[in-house]
Amino acid sequence: MFYIHQTSCISPQQTFAAVEIDRLHDAVNNKLQVIEPSYEGIPSGVLRRMGKAIRIGVGTALPLIRSTDKSIDGIIIGTANGGMEDCIKFLNQIIDYDEGLLTPTNFVQSTTNAVAAQIGLLSANKAYNTTHVHRGLAFENALLDVMMLLKEHEMANYLVGGVDEISAYNYNIEFLDGWYKKEPIAAKNLYASNTVASMAGEGAAMFFVNNDKKNATAKLTGIHILHTDDERMMADQLQLFLDKYLPAGEKIDLLLSGENGDNRLPGFYNTCEAVLNKQVAVARFKHMMGEYPTASAAALWLACYIFSGQLVPEHMMKYNSPLSLSFYNRILIYNTYKGQQHSFILVERA
Amino acid sequence: MKKTGRSKFISLSRIFVTGMGSISAIGSSVTENRMALLQGKCGIGSLELFPTKYASLLPFGEIKITNTFLQEKLQAYQPGLTRTTLLALHAFEEAITDAQLPPEHLKSFDTALINASTVGGMCLTDELYNDANKTENGSAYLSSYDCASVNMYLQKRYAIKGIINTINTACSSSANAILYGARLIKNGLAERAIVGGVDSLAKFTINGFNSLHILSPDKCAPFDEQRKGLNLGEAAAFLVLEKEEAVAGKKVYAELTGYCNTNDAFHASSLSEEGEGPYLSMKGALETAGILPAAISFINAHGTGTENNDLAESRAMLRLFENVPAFASTKSNTGHTLGAAGAIEAVYSILNLVHQEVYAALNFKQPIEATRLQPIQSYTKMPLKHVMSNSFGFGGNCASLIFSI
Repeated sequence: MFYIHQTSCISPQQTFAAVEIDRLHDAVNNKLQVIEPSYEGIPSGVLRRMGKAIRIGVGTALPLIRSTDKSIDGIIIGTANGGMEDCIKFLNQIIDYDEGLLTPTNFVQSTTNAVAAQIGLLSANKAYNTTHVHRGLAFENALLDVMMLLKEHEMANYLVGGVDEISAYNYNIEFLDGWYKKEPIAAKNLYASNTVASMAGEGAAMFFVNNDKKNATAKLTGIHILHTDDERMMADQLQLFLDKYLPAGEKIDLLLSGENGDNRLPGFYNTCEAVLNKQVAVARFKHMMGEYPTASAAALWLACYIFSGQLVPEHMMKYNSPLSLSFYNRILIYNTYKGQQHSFILVERA
Repeated sequence: MKKTGRSKFISLSRIFVTGMGSISAIGSSVTENRMALLQGKCGIGSLELFPTKYASLLPFGEIKITNTFLQEKLQAYQPGLTRTTLLALHAFEEAITDAQLPPEHLKSFDTALINASTVGGMCLTDELYNDANKTENGSAYLSSYDCASVNMYLQKRYAIKGIINTINTACSSSANAILYGARLIKNGLAERAIVGGVDSLAKFTINGFNSLHILSPDKCAPFDEQRKGLNLGEAAAFLVLEKEEAVAGKKVYAELTGYCNTNDAFHASSLSEEGEGPYLSMKGALETAGILPAAISFINAHGTGTENNDLAESRAMLRLFENVPAFASTKSNTGHTLGAAGAIEAVYSILNLVHQEVYAALNFKQPIEATRLQPIQSYTKMPLKHVMSNSFGFGGNCASLIFSI
């Protein structure tokens, strides 16, 4: 359990600087690509050499680090693919030049730990620095890591976040593997599509966290990760999670669901709603953020945004609150990545 | 260092190693690896199995075992299994057998599995090239390229239900996997953790390191004045970590007493001259172990053989230790195994402790002028209580571990 203070998000929606998410920005060619800011405070020479994942990772992290005078005792990043675009660029060079002498920039920028490393480098931070890369649970492991760090170091402050980019090449691989829709689709029609696969997204979301309740935006109460393709196991684990973290008689107000328009997966989301006895409001986020391994980071950002006193945009709502709530105190984020990896994150108003 | 308020309960759970497995250019089991180290055997030489333009130009620590052989031995025929996964499976099986983990422990919700890799399935350069660039006829490896693919396979094969993670912090990856697993146990999120790392040879890393001009045309000579760079190797290693309350009646190799992760924050692909990150991670590991520098009996150094690392690491050791302890790098035996380095060198550090012995540093002729430090140059039996293992990587990611008996 820990507290989230400042947050930062670059996504396919207007989530950075002047946040405005009532208006839904649509996908282009089935891709929800980030709206990039002007990256004030990052030298253009430095930016130019960065691939997108590093740019948006650094672009969300540095403003947070600068927004506080507290020292950052660690940088913990979850990213499944890191700088995939740079990776494949380097790979193409290997093939195209038949292993001739190549320039190292793409190689060095492409390593998955490059995001966390660059954040550390640019903020001259010599403390704990790590990168979790476990696919659809990369960000969740980053959260577990920081949760442990805050038990081990009660007075510390950490930066934790999740990043992934759509690279042309990664998109191609996922498309061939059947995870992105073949037919053109508009973001607002994602959930009604009744076809396989989802829509590619990308983004970076960063969080400044510590054990200090004062002035916190949100409390991350509990997190659980699971590998299974069995809906019943997922339901049992969810019930255990709720029994463990919900005070007696208390309920979840809002389910922030990772439903993604893939008609092979609704079983999991229906099961989740059933475990919650269908007494919750349900909102969805992947029509805005897209599907990618660390999309749950964007979901956590949305939860924090909601707790900072904002109303949930209409386009996110699947079911309104049966109790006619419009302000929520307790949000459960449930996400599954490809129906194999699952996470439950309980986040509450601080 | 800033006081961050240590929680008292963290020091209560002691972490012990109850099983180990490894495969490298010097052997396909822990015993074989030890025999080779004892004999000063070098596993670095010409490539025989891996196809690259550099096959005849550069030496590598190649495991002279084909994928076909591994598939058959491990009964692992599913499509889409990469060499990285096969090597990991081999070491994983040795480790869990060694720890005598009963099936109900393996499958329980409180067994964690933490792996590390820098290459994942990208060892398949040609397949990746095609899958990334062509719009049809995807290969069987579409879901095998990322670093997580190894653990996703192990999870399914063994029905592992606890916390599963993959870490990539370049050359310090599996040191971080070990300390993450240990902390999961200490924080009550797991009862036991199977932790390790793996990397297989890949055109991606060969060409990447070559473009940085840090591959040596000769067998690497860590800490030698004339050192010319590193040799890439491939390996996999896993350790089983359990807590004190669970090890009664079990064979226990050593205790993980110290660990620390820091960042050099100097440059994306080289360490600061004074080795600030290495200094901080070694110092931090001593602090978590609660021991003084003088208590360290031996250091398994990161010692890649590059100009940059060996000088930075030497400077850091000189700064931290009034008398630098006996040290050596095993990378002159195995090559630099990247994602596997932290884990396999942890195995070697534990072998030091169990057998009260240290192994000869190979190819060392003369010390670095600026530091005059000399590694151990012949096999030596000596009393050892605390062994430190260092792993320093790209992105300034530094990690140090301390094992004790």
